Amino acid sequence: MLGPLQPLIDMVTSPLFLMIVLFPGLTSIAIIGALLGWLERKVTARVQLRIGPLYASPAGGILQMFADLIKLSFKELFVPENSDAFFFIMAPTTGLVIGAALVGLIPFAPGLQIANIEVGLPAFLAIITLSPSLVLLAGWSANSKFPFIGGLRALFQQTAYEIPLWLSALGVIMMAGTLNLAQIVAAQSTGWFIIPQALGAFIFLVTSVAEMERLPFDLPEAESEIMMGWQAEYPGVLFLAAQGPGFVKLYAFSALFTTIYLGGFLGPSLLPPLFWMLSKTLVVIILIMLLRSTFPRVRLDQLLRAGWTTLLTLAIVNIGITYLLVVGLPTF
Amino acid sequence: MTDLLFLAFAAVTIGAAILAIEARDLVYGAAALGIAFLGVAGLFFLLDAAYVGWFQIAVYIGAVVVLILFTVMLVGPKMGEAPLGLKRVSLLAAILVSLLLGMTGALANATAFPGKDSCGSGCDLYLLSTSLLKNYGVQLEFMSLVMAAAVIGALALSKTDRGP
Repeated sequence: MLGPLQPLIDMVTSPLFLMIVLFPGLTSIAIIGALLGWLERKVTARVQLRIGPLYASPAGGILQMFADLIKLSFKELFVPENSDAFFFIMAPTTGLVIGAALVGLIPFAPGLQIANIEVGLPAFLAIITLSPSLVLLAGWSANSKFPFIGGLRALFQQTAYEIPLWLSALGVIMMAGTLNLAQIVAAQSTGWFIIPQALGAFIFLVTSVAEMERLPFDLPEAESEIMMGWQAEYPGVLFLAAQGPGFVKLYAFSALFTTIYLGGFLGPSLLPPLFWMLSKTLVVIILIMLLRSTFPRVRLDQLLRAGWTTLLTLAIVNIGITYLLVVGLPTF
Repeated sequence: MTDLLFLAFAAVTIGAAILAIEARDLVYGAAALGIAFLGVAGLFFLLDAAYVGWFQIAVYIGAVVVLILFTVMLVGPKMGEAPLGLKRVSLLAAILVSLLLGMTGALANATAFPGKDSCGSGCDLYLLSTSLLKNYGVQLEFMSLVMAAAVIGALALSKTDRGP
């Protein structure tokens, strides 16, 4: 009937296409990212006995980030003189793509997963390793002091915390016996991994907060020391593109934490699996936001010492404990 | 489809590798090296060796390229300043890249990743771990030298005649 248009319509209405475009794909990532910006301001304000965003909205300033979005997109877009325009523009936009790619690996409900690949967990962590070089390139390309210092700090911090992050995830892989995220969720039907993997979950949470450059590990941005660090020179829409990946990563990391430690979409069958997944993720997000308003920023030397000594040792101890839990005492 | 993808990945890898050697600015060279590694990872995915592919990304882009970028930015030539001895270094890099391409070529046949231990479409984690530790243990240890090679290579690349 429709002739040549039929394949196009089939493609647009296929479940995979809808997942990529609507949920859990691009549209929902953009909306959730903006809402997280609002939530963060609101939570921080409540902790500090302030009100936070109030006016831009039907309820509690919920449209504040969308207002900011419109404001930023009408600002003048310019690239600073003597900067490296190619990397200056490419680095934050590639960062957005990386953040969105992370969400595509998460199983939000049975079958509601864009890429159900066999090696989902290493894939997630491998994609994360791309971000330090992008932040470094962004800081370097601005050809300005504070952005460059911020970029170097990001590099120090993210490379130091990547190793404990991988090692803490290894505990989960040993418990589940698989690298596939959907199967890791299925393996938790008898009990969430956060109980046998309490130490691993703690290390994972701390290292992922450092990977996301959030307080108390926000040294690369540190607005009171180096005025937003590597983002300092970004104007208008590009500033949006530099800020965006932070919130998308927060969403993706919290969803991953829920998936590998909190039983993912598992829960009483009164409510749909998607509800359980999203509400657990929201709890983890608010926990990470509370860290922001509770702890002061650490110094760079404290951060690196903790990463390379304490956290690395704890991660190896956790692997030992997991070995005992999975295999039992070695027999000679 | 697979042939087209192979051609695309191969073209990206070779093009980016040439750019990595020929780029005037070392930072662009390092970024091009990262793209070349991504192309190699794509070739691994085509060979149904997703596990190797993801670790290619994590180790080579996440660590080697970052190390090179870091060294180049900290002790390397300033923006716009030409590095010293580009000719000799590019010869060395050409040899290294041809070795890499040769290795990729040697791996790029159907028998390179047989069975389920490559963690492609069907993944047996137990089989993968045993074959990594028992069959490929020595090769794995040799591959860990890549980090040392990256640090030395980055320092050699960043040499300028600015004096002490």
